[in-house]
Amino acid sequence: MNILITGAVAGLGRALCEKLLDEGHNIIAIDINKDGLEELKKQRGDLLDVIQVDLTISDAVSRLIETLAKGTRFDLVVLNAGINATGNFEENPGEAYRRLLTINTETPIIMASAMIGGNMMETGGTVVFVSSLSHATGYPGASVYAASKDAIATYASSIRRACARMNINILTIFPGPIKTDHAARHAPKGADAERRMAPNRLAFLVLNAVSQRKHDLYPGVIAKLTNVAGRLLPAFLTRLMRRIVFEKLDKPTY
Amino acid sequence: MKVDQATNILITGATDGIGLLLAHLYLAQGANVVITGRRDAKAVEQVIPKDAIYIQANQEHPQITADLITKAMTEIGWDHCDLAILNAGNGHVCNPLQENPEAIRDTLNVNLVAPILIARTLVRFLDKAHHGKLVFIGSTSHKGAAKFASYAASKAGLHGFARSLREEWHHRITVLIIHPGPTATGMHAKAGFDAGAMKRLFFDPDYVARTIVASIHKGASPVSIGVFARIKQALSLRKNPVSAGDI
Repeated sequence: MNILITGAVAGLGRALCEKLLDEGHNIIAIDINKDGLEELKKQRGDLLDVIQVDLTISDAVSRLIETLAKGTRFDLVVLNAGINATGNFEENPGEAYRRLLTINTETPIIMASAMIGGNMMETGGTVVFVSSLSHATGYPGASVYAASKDAIATYASSIRRACARMNINILTIFPGPIKTDHAARHAPKGADAERRMAPNRLAFLVLNAVSQRKHDLYPGVIAKLTNVAGRLLPAFLTRLMRRIVFEKLDKPTY
Repeated sequence: MKVDQATNILITGATDGIGLLLAHLYLAQGANVVITGRRDAKAVEQVIPKDAIYIQANQEHPQITADLITKAMTEIGWDHCDLAILNAGNGHVCNPLQENPEAIRDTLNVNLVAPILIARTLVRFLDKAHHGKLVFIGSTSHKGAAKFASYAASKAGLHGFARSLREEWHHRITVLIIHPGPTATGMHAKAGFDAGAMKRLFFDPDYVARTIVASIHKGASPVSIGVFARIKQALSLRKNPVSAGDI
């Protein structure tokens, strides 16, 4: 398979990259972290191409799409790159929110639209959007992040039927906290890192959902239960998130 | 809260449609109203209420818009804002897989990034009001719409933002989101959508504006002006949902 992964250096992107390289697939890995990309390339240069791009910059995304359009078609595209901004809403700079909304929402929409509409996907292929469990709960203390992930979930469901007519599957995943440095930086004080899902485990569940051509994935039992609770008691769950997240955040972090 | 001469209200996107009707309703109640629009002040002179203060700001440039609004509010001597209704929005109709990238970016900037950055700069004005209210105008399409994919996404983002911020600002500033269903304003034509015979099912803009005012007064969120509102309107149970003098 030909595969594209954004945010490939760390977390879920990295775990997917390593699993898929082990299975012998060809990957184009995209990230902002140049050293991380070079390290990946050193490991498996035979199957891997790397492109360094800052996906918070609209023009860079447009240029990336032009580059990708010249290559082979993709069987799997994982639009995984994303960032967070936590703390009191008004205390993070506006520019941090602009960047967040570009990389988490605008970039995956622009890339998916251009790649599917521009005939860059193989028939039978899959595009994976990464939303968040916050879609079910709300996320006081990271309201712009919550916005970005709700937007991408609704975009995915809006284009799903049109993509199905071209035999392209749209999978949206709604992961809770993942065991990464990024999650640790944004976690509330006293949060138990051991309860976060390991990126390898999540990658395994995502690839299963891809092969089963699922539409939505709430990975793991806790995420599934949270989703049900969020549908039954949305206001209660957002209040609970205020207690366990917002009230324990001590400073703006972006 | 009662509207009086000391009540300061901001309404974005108020040179036509629901925003303009909202401006008229609040001005009639005696509030000070600042409105924004993307067109040149000369071009809207004939349209906008003469008692309203107009700020020209294009939300395709979100941070510039946010700064223009707070600058103008400071210049006219507002130290507080009691109610901000972030209503401005745009959209375009198309095959979801043939969306023009520039149109996607404009939609996201106008409908999502701009309201978020405006909310951020408005905090200090809302905090100084007695019970500040921040209202987002969403859309019933926030749950997904094939012909308006990026528009639906932007409104879903606004919904999620309002949901989390409402909890974050609990007991401080009341945050609301109101989702009108299809309304007979110029929006659909501007978006390149010919609703045809469906138009007869669209909401009367005046009814929507009055329902929004009533919802803001109640303070509940989220509110959808959808199927139930349509039944109520058809039965004429609530011809005039606004009680005069309240916001």
